[in-house]
Order: sequence, then structure tokens, then C-alpha cells
Amino acid sequence: MKRILVLLVIFTVTGVASGGFKEKFIEEFVKKPWGAPPSQESVCISCHTSDLMKEEFKEIVRQWRQSWHAKNNISCHDCHGGDPKDEKMAMSEERGFVGVPSYTEVPEFCGKCHAGVLENYYKSGHGMALKNDGTGPNCVICHGSHQIQRATIDIINEKRCSQCHTYERAKIMKQALFSTEKKITDLYDAIERLKKKGIYTEELYKEVFRTEADFRLLFHEVNVSLIKESTDDFLKRLSKIEEKTARLFSELRFRQNFSAFIMLLLAGLGIVIFLISKRGP
Amino acid sequence: MQRRGFLKLLAAFFTSILSGSFLYSFLRYLAPPSKSSEASKIIVAKAEVAEGQAKEIIINNTPAIVINRPGKGYIVLSRVCTHLGCLVKYEPDRSRLFCPCHAGVYNLDGKVISGPPPKPLPKFPFRVEGENIVIG
Amino acid sequence: MWKGIVEWLEVRIGLKDFLREQFTEYRVPPDINIFYTLGIVAFFAYIIQAVTGFFLLLYYIPHSEHAFQSVQHIMTEVPYGWLIRLMHVVGSNLMVAVVFLHLISVFIMNSYKKPRELTWVVGGLLLLTTLTFCLSGYLLPWSQLSFWATTIVTNLPTAFPYLGDWLAYLLKGSEQVSGTTLNRFFALHVAFLPPILVTLFGLHLFLVRRIGISRPPFSKNYPPPSSWTQYRHEEYPEGIPFYPSFFIKEMYMVVLYMVIMFFVITFMPTLFLPEEASIPADPYTTPLHIKPEWYFLAPYQMLKLIPNKFLGISIQLVLLFIFLFWPFFDTSDERDIRKRPLLLTVFFLTIGVWIILTIWGKYS
Repeated sequence: MKRILVLLVIFTVTGVASGGFKEKFIEEFVKKPWGAPPSQESVCISCHTSDLMKEEFKEIVRQWRQSWHAKNNISCHDCHGGDPKDEKMAMSEERGFVGVPSYTEVPEFCGKCHAGVLENYYKSGHGMALKNDGTGPNCVICHGSHQIQRATIDIINEKRCSQCHTYERAKIMKQALFSTEKKITDLYDAIERLKKKGIYTEELYKEVFRTEADFRLLFHEVNVSLIKESTDDFLKRLSKIEEKTARLFSELRFRQNFSAFIMLLLAGLGIVIFLISKRGP
Repeated sequence: MQRRGFLKLLAAFFTSILSGSFLYSFLRYLAPPSKSSEASKIIVAKAEVAEGQAKEIIINNTPAIVINRPGKGYIVLSRVCTHLGCLVKYEPDRSRLFCPCHAGVYNLDGKVISGPPPKPLPKFPFRVEGENIVIG
Repeated sequence: MWKGIVEWLEVRIGLKDFLREQFTEYRVPPDINIFYTLGIVAFFAYIIQAVTGFFLLLYYIPHSEHAFQSVQHIMTEVPYGWLIRLMHVVGSNLMVAVVFLHLISVFIMNSYKKPRELTWVVGGLLLLTTLTFCLSGYLLPWSQLSFWATTIVTNLPTAFPYLGDWLAYLLKGSEQVSGTTLNRFFALHVAFLPPILVTLFGLHLFLVRRIGISRPPFSKNYPPPSSWTQYRHEEYPEGIPFYPSFFIKEMYMVVLYMVIMFFVITFMPTLFLPEEASIPADPYTTPLHIKPEWYFLAPYQMLKLIPNKFLGISIQLVLLFIFLFWPFFDTSDERDIRKRPLLLTVFFLTIGVWIILTIWGKYS
């Protein structure tokens, strides 16, 4: 008995003594994102949040952190270029730094990624006006820039549209979009609920996203009759996905009923066995 | 004693329904419905896809594309972008597949060249029979 | 027909004698309580895991490219696959809970004392095997949840100086959790651990029956401690017959176990499958709130609290050692825990600290 205790003491003491050698581990154990290659913070962010910066520059990072881009890991250099790993060369044109695009350069700037939207935007009255005399609205007029959020139908509103033209036409547009948009948001909601219930929804999500993206591309031509023509088609596509979600919900209901049935049978059996055991010999 | 007999009968009743339910579900588990209800083979005539050309098809509800790659022969790829599921477009002049949603670029083998897609485009097996390409 | 079979067996293996000895004439202590059934409930829980596990194996593909999809295939496309998977998932958690309860009741009744020290040690090993089962099974669905929880746990050995990194590498088979790790854990889960569990269980049961079942130490006429130096089988001639009296209580508890299992499946199907469990594993995205399973939370939180990691892991190993060989540390002759304030304090302190650490770990 004593020998064991002595061994334990020796073990612990050597443990404590040699433990310091792995101090780095403390840091790693508590803070490190497990297993993944350590995600280096972009030097753009570390510099732009430091006290050396003007308040207005700090604000950019703050806004970005709230944005849909930030939520999807789209960082500064993804749009502005430059080198987020090298402090000295971060804003060098050699490394593709772009800085602030001019008003008319904005569509190309965003269109690096949103390629399809760009194409359709240039077909629109908005895009053509911008191209021809630099007067049309560019992307950020409607969507904002650093604090960009996921686009919804509410972007079309009187305050925004009537800056340039009467709201009448925009309103007709909004009405044409309404039913499709509603169905899309409902589907995303349904998918979210299914996900919470443990259903793998990635394929379904992609299907809705694909439909939504097609619809959004089309919308950027800002052509009411085009939207009206294709609405039926989109509604049909969305209904097909809706059928799938409905089937999943009814499957979930069936599962619950089935296992409740088994549970009740088991409970019944349990009670009977309990009664038998009470009046046993 | 009568009551005891009744209880035993009841227990047997519950047990048999329970075992029945489990047996039923476990047997159903062992024999899932067979998948090959519809023949998922698609035949495309070689003449339809000249060199450098492509033809969009649908295999098992998945949009796909048959490409006759210049100098490298046919390939059948899914058109569903592995990023968020938009449909990629074949651009013959730049010999690439391009996703309009977030500018994902794949080469004609389906490998990711640039952009956000996490995985290459899935390939579909096919074989050339005479004048036809049989996919699936 | 039935009688014929019984008769045939009777002639060859002495079935009636065997049954009489093992069931009807086998008597358990007259003051036996309901906690004595937990062992059999745990055994039954293992059986459910083995059966559902076998069924899952029919469709599961142990490959990092296909594992997640195959599990989703079981959940959505194979008829009643959800039932079998949920039974396995919920069952694994309930099984650990039952094993813990069994452990606690044995501790409170001091049943581990002479001559049952060995039964306790084997039981402790069974618990460790069970936890290894849980750990290895947790990775198999290859979801974000399983991937990152496993990453946390397999990083623990790196706290050892010199050997740590090598140990972690040995466990994972690669630098990070990867397809190799998946295959390793799969092999552990379905080929390595089951025979060990069965062997340990056989030994445990053998010891229980060979030594004789213990008596709860709470009654007034509980015999004073005697110092025997010779083997003797503990018997209870005036006890209650195992079959049917005690057996039916065991059955009752087993059914109760299943009722709880199906209660969870019916009303809380996602209790053990949070959202991350339906996202495929992605080594490049660390989810925000990944925690080990509830039964690992206390040791995990303890490790986080101790500033020196090697000290932390050493303390845990020492505690594990003490737990495993507890009968040899507790040398008092008194078995009634109510008359042992010190032991009672240690008990409540351990349970209390465990619960606090678990809650802390959950919400920190």
C-alpha cells in the first residue's frame, strides 16, 4: 500500500517538475482552433483595428464583421487584393492591391465573384446608364458595401428607388417578385427547421440556392415582363422542392408516431410486469 | 389466480406486438427497395458532340454535360457546382467550366482551378459503343 | 415437440438440474434492493448496442469519402434505418448512464470490499472499455461534431512530455484526424473492443456468481466483519429465489430502460444529435461550440482548469488509478456508509465536483 503511494507521489512530482516544458501546450490547448492549420489573422484587419487608424477606417472592419461576407469567410483581400500575410507588401499593387474602386468601376469589382449578376446587370437600364454616362446606380447604391447583407426583397423600397426615379415602376417590379421571393424564404425556413430536426439538408439547400440564384440573375436585368414571364417556371421549380420538404416533414411525423407507439407498448408491458411482480408468490 | 392469468396474457400480448413491430422494421431494414427501377442509361450520338463541343444532359435528375475535349477525348461531368449548387457553364473558347454564381472555375477534367468550390465536379462513368456514347 | 426437445437436452446436459441450480434454487439476499438490477440492465443495454451496431454495419462504409453519406443514407433512405441508428445513438448514452448508476450503487453499498475487490477492478475495466467504445464510435459518422470532438480528445495525450506527440500520432495514425484515424477507430469499435468487452463481462459475471452476490449492508442483523482466510461461497438459504421473484424485477427494469430510450427517440430525437451532427466533417472549418460528450465533460473541464497540462493529465491518471484500485485503498471494515462520515463526504464531494465540472464544461 505504502509503496503504491510512494510511486504515486514520485509520478506526480516528476510530472509537475517536467510539466513546464510544455507551456506552449497551455496556449494551444485552450485557444487553438483544434486540428486545423492555425488560421492566421489577416494583417489588413490587425492594422485596421489598431489605434493608429482613423476612426473611419476602423469602422470598415466593424461593418465588415457584421456582414454576410464575413459570415462566409470572405475577407478583405478577396475583393481588394493585396497580401494579407505580409505587412509590408499588404497594400502593394504588385500583389494585386486594388483599394477603392471608382464609382463606375464598382460593378467589375463585385463582378469578379458575382459574375452572372454582373452580366445581367449590364443588360439592365441601371447598368446601361452606368456604362453610357456614369449616372446609373452601381452595386453599392442598393446593396451597400462593407456591411453587405444577404439580399432580400426589402432592398426595393420607396426611399431608395425614389432617389433617382418614381417608385411606381419599382413597385410593380416588387409585386412581380413577391410570390417567388416568398416561396424561396419559406423554403429556406423549412430547410432550417429540418436541419434542426437532424435531417441532412445540404442537397436540398443547394437546390433552393440554385433556383434562387437563377432568379436573382434574371432579376438584375430589371425587366418586369421578363420576370412575369418566367415566374410560373420558377414557381414550378420551387414547388418541386416544396414537395420534397413536405415529404420529409411527414416522414418525421411518422417516425415520431412509430416510436411513440413502441414506447406506449413498452410502458404497458412494464406496468403489467410490475403488477405481476407485486402479487408474486 | 384469475387475475394473474389475465396479467400474463396481457404481457404476452404486449410482447408479441412489440416483437412483431421490431421484427417488421428490422426486416424492412434488411430489404430496402431496389434502386434500379428505371434504367438510368443515357445514349448520346457521337455526332452530337463534335470536338470542342459539349452537350447538356440529365442523368438521374442531375444536370450533367458531355464534353468532347480537344485532343483528350470525351468526359461526362456533373454540372452542379460543388460550392452552392449552381449550374456551371461550358466555355469552349477558354476551355473551362465556369460557375456564374461565385466565379468558380473548373478545368475540363472537372478539377477546381480557382474560386470557392471545395471539391472537383463529380464524373459519370461512360463508354463509347460504335457511334454512341453510353452514360451510366 | 417442445417436451421432446427439453427431454433430449435433459438427457445430454442435465438441463433441469442446471436451471434449478441457476434459477429457481439460486437465492438472492432477502433484503436485496432494486439497485441490484442495474447490472443486468447494463448487460441488456450492451446487447441492444451489439444488435443495432451489427445492423448499422450492413450499410455503413468506413471510408472518409463515404462514411457521412452512408450514415445519411441509413437515416433517410433505408427503411427504418433511423430507428436502428437512433436506438444505437440514444442507447450508447443511456448505457453509460446505467453503468454510472451501477457503479454508484455498488460504491454506496460498499459491495467492493473483501472478497469482491477483483469484481470491482474488472467492473472498472469494463467502464473504461465502454468509454473507449463511445469514443471510437463517436468518430464514425464523420460529421463536424464527431470530427472535432475526436480532435479534442485525441489531442489530450500531447500533454505528456516527449512521448505525447508520438502517442497522439499513434492514436490518430496521422498528424490530424483523418481517414486513417477513421479506419483505426472503426477497427477498434467493431473488431478490437467487442471481444475484450465480452471477456471482461464473462469474468465479471463469473466473479459475481463464484463469490456469491453481496448483501446490502444496511440491515440491523448485518453480520459483523469476519476475517476469513479461506474461500467460501456466500449463500442465502433463507433468501428469495432468483427466478421468478428477482428475475421479474430485472425484467421490469429492462423494460423501463427501453421506455426511457423510446421516450428520448420520440420526444427528443436530436438530444444527442445536434446540428453539427448533420454537417459533413470539414477539417478546415472549426465549429464554434464543440464539446466532448457529456460523460467526458468533467475530465475535459478539469484539464482546462488546471494551468499546467502535464500536471492536469497526471492528476487524472492518478485519480483513475485510485478509482480502479479503490478497494485496496479503502481498508476500513465498516460497510455501512452511514456510519462512515468520511467516506460519505468523499462520495458526495466527488459526485458534486463531477456535476459542477460537467455543467461548467457545458456552458463555458
